[in-house]
Amino acid sequence: MIARALGAIAVVALLAAPVVIPRYHVTLLLPAFAYSIGLLGLNLLFGTTGLLSFGHALFVALGAYTAAALTTHFHILHLETLLIGAALVAGVVAVPVGLLCVRYVKIYFGMLTLAFGMLFYSFLYKFYTLTGGDEGIRVLRPRLLGQAFAGLDKVEFLIGPFYYYALAVLAMATLLMHRIVRSPFGLGLRAIRENPDKAAYVGVAVRRYRFYAFVIAAVFGAVGGALLAVPTGLADPLLAYWTHSGNLVFMLLLGGFDHFLGPLVGALVFILLQDTVMSLTTYWRFVFGAILAVIVIFFPRGLLGLLAWRREPTA
Amino acid sequence: MKTTRRQFLALTGAASAARVLRLDAAPAFAQAGPVKLGVLAAKAGVLAPVGESGLRGVTWATERINAGGGILGRKIELVVEEESSPKDTVERFRKLVLQDKVDAVSGGISTGVGLALGPVAEEMKAIWLAWDATTQKGVDETMPKPKYAFRSTDNECEAVMASILTAKNWKGKFRTVAGINPDYSYGRDNWAAFLAIMKKYAIDVQVVSELWPKLGATDFTAHVATLQQAKPDLIFSCFWAGDTPIFMKQAHGAGLTGTTKFVLTTGGGVHESLKRAFTPEGALLGYNSMYFEHPRASALMKEFVRWHQEKFKEWPSYESDHGYFTIAAYKAAVERAAKAAGGKWPSQDAVIQALEGVEVESLSGPRRFREDHIMEATFFQGYTTHKNKHDFVTIDPVEAMGTKQIQKPSGVGLYDWINSWKV
Amino acid sequence: MLGGAFHAAVLFLVSAGLQLVFGVQKILNLACGSFYALGAYLGVSAVTWALGAGLPAPLFVVVLIAAGLALAVIGPVVERILRTIYDRDESFQLLLTFALVLMFEDVIRFVWGTAPHQLGTVYLVYGQLRIAGSTVPVYNLVVIAAGALIALGMGWLLTRTRFGRIVRATAENREMSEALGVDMHSVYARVFTLGVALGTVGGALVIPATAATSEMGIELIVEAFAVVVIGGLGSMRGAFVGALIVGLLKAGAIAIWPEVEMLAVYVVVVAVLVLRPTGLFARAAA
Repeated sequence: MIARALGAIAVVALLAAPVVIPRYHVTLLLPAFAYSIGLLGLNLLFGTTGLLSFGHALFVALGAYTAAALTTHFHILHLETLLIGAALVAGVVAVPVGLLCVRYVKIYFGMLTLAFGMLFYSFLYKFYTLTGGDEGIRVLRPRLLGQAFAGLDKVEFLIGPFYYYALAVLAMATLLMHRIVRSPFGLGLRAIRENPDKAAYVGVAVRRYRFYAFVIAAVFGAVGGALLAVPTGLADPLLAYWTHSGNLVFMLLLGGFDHFLGPLVGALVFILLQDTVMSLTTYWRFVFGAILAVIVIFFPRGLLGLLAWRREPTA
Repeated sequence: MKTTRRQFLALTGAASAARVLRLDAAPAFAQAGPVKLGVLAAKAGVLAPVGESGLRGVTWATERINAGGGILGRKIELVVEEESSPKDTVERFRKLVLQDKVDAVSGGISTGVGLALGPVAEEMKAIWLAWDATTQKGVDETMPKPKYAFRSTDNECEAVMASILTAKNWKGKFRTVAGINPDYSYGRDNWAAFLAIMKKYAIDVQVVSELWPKLGATDFTAHVATLQQAKPDLIFSCFWAGDTPIFMKQAHGAGLTGTTKFVLTTGGGVHESLKRAFTPEGALLGYNSMYFEHPRASALMKEFVRWHQEKFKEWPSYESDHGYFTIAAYKAAVERAAKAAGGKWPSQDAVIQALEGVEVESLSGPRRFREDHIMEATFFQGYTTHKNKHDFVTIDPVEAMGTKQIQKPSGVGLYDWINSWKV
Repeated sequence: MLGGAFHAAVLFLVSAGLQLVFGVQKILNLACGSFYALGAYLGVSAVTWALGAGLPAPLFVVVLIAAGLALAVIGPVVERILRTIYDRDESFQLLLTFALVLMFEDVIRFVWGTAPHQLGTVYLVYGQLRIAGSTVPVYNLVVIAAGALIALGMGWLLTRTRFGRIVRATAENREMSEALGVDMHSVYARVFTLGVALGTVGGALVIPATAATSEMGIELIVEAFAVVVIGGLGSMRGAFVGALIVGLLKAGAIAIWPEVEMLAVYVVVVAVLVLRPTGLFARAAA
């Protein structure tokens, strides 16, 4: 009951935000939405299937670069096409990477994903005629459902139509992920996380399911990445660096990987926290490291775990 | 009580009368509060020392201006944020403009950040005065006619100057060249400019080695070994960070510094780390647009150097001048625009118009913004010497070239411009 | 070739600590690069101070090693922090070490600032040699020799001493070792400290020939990972061979095809993963 009430308040707050809260803070919510989508994917791997990827930034960056290339090189401005393009490219790349990575579990999986993330980073940097190298590729302002909203300047565009568009994509992604997690496939993933051997006995195709989860996670990551790059206006190699992957995991842990909505809460709190702390001290990395350490040691189930809601069957 | 109030009223009456009589509008604006200027300074990573240097120039300029009463009586208040990745820096820029409501933003060094901030400044209608980060791509492809973005000198200026000096002073004295440059846009652009200029001057060079270490690499033993085998007469490098002293040290350890000519286009940025112990004399060393020990340094420069040395126990590097200039130029533009507006505080459009073509006395001499929003300055390079009172190298004599000589004019491509030279 | 061997020695020193700790405690310590960086920075400060106080130049190595070993005191402290989550999922341990990476980065920035720190040419006090047409500082050879010596020393420690036997037994089967009366906490603390010391001493030893730069810890992780993937997680022999392969490969790329320098390491990583997924010396400690 309380959960539903709070959820309703949150939805109303998000819908009302652009008119109620200051413009800068509305722009802050945009990366939070984008990260939320990416993290829903990451949590399918970690919270549901038990695989911690330290290379998720690869797919986030891939989504950003796909959107950038489509707008800059191919002059395609429809955001729907950009998102679908990002999803497709990520899906394709995730196949060989996933096939290699899901042979391993736990630490090995984390290390391999980190290695692939850095491989992509080096590729982005090195093949500069294709990727723009350290300068990156610009992401031009997209059209939403065919509308250019030319009368609005970029900030008005971002906190107006784009805000609601991103929120809608997030809602759809959340619903979709909810269906996936509740499906027999999702149940199978949770069984794999609890006990892979038992799951295999029961007839779950362990490696194949992990592979599917990996590809789905990649697709969500890329859609998030494409949305992430629109406010910045640029896709650059740093999006693929391993510390960016580390931040993604940080966000997930902050929100609570045990809970279905953990990713959304984590992304939001992390963005707001980063904004506050970055303006307060130049040693914000230390503060963040300390916060992460505290969470890992004392509050591993994150903020939502703290609030001790009735556990969703994600766990 | 009554007497005091009358006295008080008399005083304020006198003050207003005095205000009306004064010819400058300074006190009237002071009531409007301080002028907020945003700063984006890199604080971590390989860019951090450069960011710090720029921030010091900005800070000193601000302190000086405020000590003199501020801009038309309004003190400058700096709001400093960190320049990091392009995504995060764009967010900080938005915060400065939307939340802190600054009048202008000064800063930006890395090429990725520069490429991202240009369109953002235009979209948000916020004046952006960059310290660095001007690449051909940024200028040509994405920002052909910026209104709000004011950029620094082209990234290749230092390579152009070094190449011209090399062609003039060392023609006939070298045949084989090797390049060791960081593997990113800056490294590639500078190396390409050098080769193009050698060709223009009809110097037949044979490239015996082209090395591309990662930006920020800390070990060059394998590179030095390769260079030893290749035996170049001249080594060209646009290293600008910690890699510069490491490379020189390891090159020295391998005996390369005795027999090879070195062209270090931007090494002057880390000049204090180029110790005499391993940096040879006679190397061409570039200090970009500010050389701290110029024999004909202005009083302003000497004052800055003294302040810098006392406060930080370090000698300043060129980014300080970029930083100083952005603040000084802004002040000059506001004053000029205010005068044109009859003494009223100018609108943003008026300030922008005044910034185009504004010229101020910066630390290393006069500097200005061209009408196309690109900076014009003087660059300083020279041949290293050990004859000084430091434990690091300096240059003697100091060559100076203005951007009119080494920076391409508006509307021309870099290589077209080079091809059009008469040599 | 020697340039490749130098880089290999550097990589080995970073990776050895990583492998040791993983082999025994199954913790992948992302902060191994940070320990290396700390050793480097403290090494510079210590030697600069010592030389200023009148230390004869050839003895700087002693100061370096001392500085590296002195830093090992943070080993037990960090281990104590990690101990709080030993029985949790490995992912959490990885995350905690990531938190440490962030914290150490700012600690280094706070203490030493952001400009590179270096030791000038004191390392040339040992002179230079001419080998195969190249001039090589003797100190570089010292570093290579140190790497080899430490590798041998680790091998000896793990196979010939009682401590080493206990360490290997614990790596093989922790429950059994505990049941047989081994004091796990003590073993873990000592292993971790040894791992830290390998990193800090490694960093200190290398610094005279290069310079300490900010974010060096973060960047070294990537290459260290390549080394352990190639060599096989947990294997000291793997660290040695992996480091050698990466170092020589990089040097080879620089000499033959410099454009691919940045990618060379990753190509090998992917190749190893495809051909021999668990690395060359898979499984078990030493």
